[in-house]
Formats: sequence, C-alpha cells, structure tokens
Amino acid sequence: MTLLEVEDINGYYGESHIIQDVSMNVDDGEITALLGRNGAGKTSTLRCISGATPPDVRSGSIRFDGTDITNAPPEDIAVRGVSLVPEERRVFTDLTVAENLHLAETVRNKSNTWGRNLDFRDEGMSTEEIYEYFPRLDERRSQKAGTLSGGEQQMLAIARALHQSTDLLMLDEPYEGLAPQIIESVENAIRRISEDGTTILLVEQNAIAAMKIADRCYVLDRGTVVFEGDAETLRNDQETRDRYLGV
Amino acid sequence: MTLLADILTLLLNGLQQGAIYVLLAVGLSIILGTLKFVNFAHGALYLVGAYLGLFITTEVPLTNGQLAEWGIQSYGIGLGFIAALVIVPIVVFVIGLLMEKFVAQAFYSRPDTDQILVTFGLAIIVQETLRAMLGGNSQPFQQPSWASGPIALPIIGNFPRWRLGVIAITAVLVLGVYLLVEYTDFGLIVQAGTLDGEMVRLLGIKLSRPYLVVFGIGAALAGVAGVVGGPLANVNPNIGTEQLVPAFLTVVIGGVGKIEGAVVAGLMLGTLQVALIQTGNAAWSQVGIYALAAVILLVRPQGLLGSEVDVS
Repeated sequence: MTLLEVEDINGYYGESHIIQDVSMNVDDGEITALLGRNGAGKTSTLRCISGATPPDVRSGSIRFDGTDITNAPPEDIAVRGVSLVPEERRVFTDLTVAENLHLAETVRNKSNTWGRNLDFRDEGMSTEEIYEYFPRLDERRSQKAGTLSGGEQQMLAIARALHQSTDLLMLDEPYEGLAPQIIESVENAIRRISEDGTTILLVEQNAIAAMKIADRCYVLDRGTVVFEGDAETLRNDQETRDRYLGV
Repeated sequence: MTLLADILTLLLNGLQQGAIYVLLAVGLSIILGTLKFVNFAHGALYLVGAYLGLFITTEVPLTNGQLAEWGIQSYGIGLGFIAALVIVPIVVFVIGLLMEKFVAQAFYSRPDTDQILVTFGLAIIVQETLRAMLGGNSQPFQQPSWASGPIALPIIGNFPRWRLGVIAITAVLVLGVYLLVEYTDFGLIVQAGTLDGEMVRLLGIKLSRPYLVVFGIGAALAGVAGVVGGPLANVNPNIGTEQLVPAFLTVVIGGVGKIEGAVVAGLMLGTLQVALIQTGNAAWSQVGIYALAAVILLVRPQGLLGSEVDVS
C-alpha cells in the first residue's frame, strides 16, 4: 500500500524552479531512500512534503494516507503523522533533552491545542519507550541539547520525531558529520524503527550507506527524478551511480 | 553610616527607575525574540496605559484640545488607583491582541524596516490623536493616597513609599511572566519558538495563537508600566516616545528574548542613571546609559545574556 504519493510536483524558491515534475511513492512499512548530490533538490522535496515554505509548490499534488496535503501548513501535516528529522537536526539547543522531547507531545494535551480539533492515527512513542530506545538520552535528560555530541543530537532529533504521532518518518541526512561508528549506531536505530513498523523516507548524500538499508531508491539530479527502482537494482547500476551519485 | 545610607538609597532609586525599563523591556523583548517583530509602538502602549490609568483613577480637568473645544470640561471616572491597576492591563492586553491581528501579522514576513515604519507611524498616530483630543499639557498623576508619602526604612531613613510600590509591582509581574515562560507548556512552546519557529510547527504545534497571547502579554506589561510609571512624573503625549529608546536599549543590552537579561539590563541602566543624577551629573545621565550600552555591545554583541545565534 502506498502511504505517501508525490505526483508531478513543481517547487519554487522565488522564481527559481528547483523541483521539476518530481513524482515518488513511499510504500507502507518500507525504507525509501532519496539520493543525489548536494543541491539536487532532496531537502527541498522533503520541505514540500512537510509543508515547510519556501519552496512553494505551484503544481502537482502530495497525498498522505489518501488525503491531499499539498500546501497544507506544517503543523497540520505533522499531526497527521508525518514527522521530519531535519538537516542539521535542529534540536532546541537552549532547552534540555527532556524539554525537547516534551515539546513533541504537547499537542496531545488538549489544553495546548488552542481549540484545534486533532485526531491522531498514531499515538507516538511514549516517553518511557523513547528512553528505552535511546538510553543515552535517558542519562542526559536534564542536559541542554546544545551540549550533546553530534551523534547524541541526531538521536534526540530522531527521538523527538518518534515522540510525535508518526506514521512516516522522514530523515534528512542523518549521517552527516558523524564518525563511522556513530553512523553505524544511527543506522541500527533506523533499522529497528523500521522493523517496529514505521515507514521511513531517508534522504542521504552518503549513497552507499543509504543503499544498505533501503528497500527502494529514487535518485534526484537538478530537481528531477533520474532513477527509480529497488535498492538492489541501483547497487548494480554502475552508470547511474557514477553519473549521479559519484560512487 | 551616611555613605552606606546614600548607597542604599541610590540602589533603591536605581531599582525603581530600572523597574519601569524592565516592565517595558520584558514585553518588548519577548515580542522581538519570539515573533521577530520590531515594535516601535511599544512606547505608545505605555502612553495609552498612562492615560487610561489617569482616566480610571481620577477626574482630570480639560483646558485645551478638541474635547475642551467641544465643551467637555473633564474626563475620568474616578474609580481609584487599584481599579486602574486591574483594568488597564486587561484593556491593553486586548489592544495588543488587536494590534497583532490587524497590524503585526501582515508584517511578520516583511523586512525590519517595514515593521519599524508601520509601528512608528502607529505610535505617532496614537500620540498626536491624544494631543489633539486632550491637549498637550502635562497632567499630574496623583500617587494613590495609601502609597504616598515617605516610609521609614532602616539605615536609609525616609524613602518614598510609592517608589517601593513600583519595585514590588514590577517584581511580582516579572516573576509571574518568568514562571509562565519557564514552567508551563505554553512557555516551553514560546521558548522553542524563539529558537526555531519552523521546527516547532513541524512538531505539529500551531504557533499563531501562542504568538497572539505573547503579544497581548507584552502589551499588558507596557500598559502596567504606564500606570505605575505615571505617578512618578507627569503624564503628557510625549512620554511614550521618551520611554521607547531606553526600553529598546534594555532589550539589546540584556539579550533579545531573555527575561532575565531585560531585568539585569534594566536595573543596570536605572542605577547608572540615578547615580549620575544623584551625584550632580544629571546632564550626563543620558550620555551615561548610551555609553554603557555601547561598551557592553562592543564586548558582547548578543547582549549580556543573549545566545550566540543572532536574531535576523
């Protein structure tokens, strides 16, 4: 079953046309990787899906779980079950680990919804489950997020996303700037999250690492999709790898 | 003994002078920090607070201005000072909500210069309308009778009761805002919004309503500042603009968006200003606060308690 369906979207930053007729599907329960070089349009595509602006989507449609979410505000898309671990993590550095996590569940408390009528398909992971998943964060609950190491901040960003109501977890360059052994532990975390039933859309420049865990892959180049297929096919497609991924 | 008394008196006076800056700066700072909105009409809210306080507290005779020409001889409902202290923040809170909805919102995504122009324009409209209607003359704002006159303090001796009142009211209000921001979900959302508003929205949190409330709270604090600051001097249409620049200075010195920063900076400026006045250097008091500001910002461009990240 297709959970996320992106159809012929065109995204613009002002007048520059940075996403050109991009279509992609993310199937329920799978890990889908969106690959490509720096500047290929990967992050912009994720921003379009999550409702962050810019870019603005001027044509095409994005459907999540059968509902049209094209150009919906990010807060509405998020409560539907799409959560984003953004590029560079964007944890709230001046807040503690516990506060960062707590923020992700504030909308589940009726007194914080300010009259919005929210109906969650997925309840999100409980605080206890989160700390069980990421014991390092448990140890650092009262520490400011800005004082964590890069790997820990990445874990916190993932944990925060899982604490939201999450059916689709979108990860933007989760391996960026991390040491190889840390990459491995993030990789293991992603595998486990996937095995526990969360659908994942993984954006990576590190194509080798991404292909290792992905089921399906899309390759973007200058705002258009130049490859789609399963990870196995991409692994054996040396020409695409040379031309668009440099690996 | 007298030296100690002098120093303590100076500190208390500085605290009182700084208290008004703090009340104005806390509101200004949370609005600037959270909404990234440069509100040059913040002084006008102080002005409205002062006139509204006057209107609620006593009956003021009208000698010139449009209303006097129309034959209205006085304004005011004479409900007393406590009534003003309760009603003014509520009314100015609502004014803040309206201002956010009908003025600020349209300018959030516009450049700072546009925000400054529109809010400064708004401030002038308010100021000149008051002058046209009520006349430009200064009105004495009576201190409430129960808080006027001196109180005998240990070491210091006699000290104006009202000044202590100003310090106490400021302390209670600022503490209240601080607790709200530090210990509630609302406050957590506002703090996170200051750091990265888009990320907060990506967590499913709608920011427009909390932002509206932040604006209202900031406005209400400016309104209260007008009521408690009014009896310290006379009320006239210029007092809003006069307070605006020191308030901004306080925000910048303390660090944008930091309540503790606004408190520390406000008290510093107030104390310095009073120190210069009391040592016979009144003419230098304005120079002093700007010089202090310049030195602090040269050493710490983000302000005393500001984060490293800039607010642009």
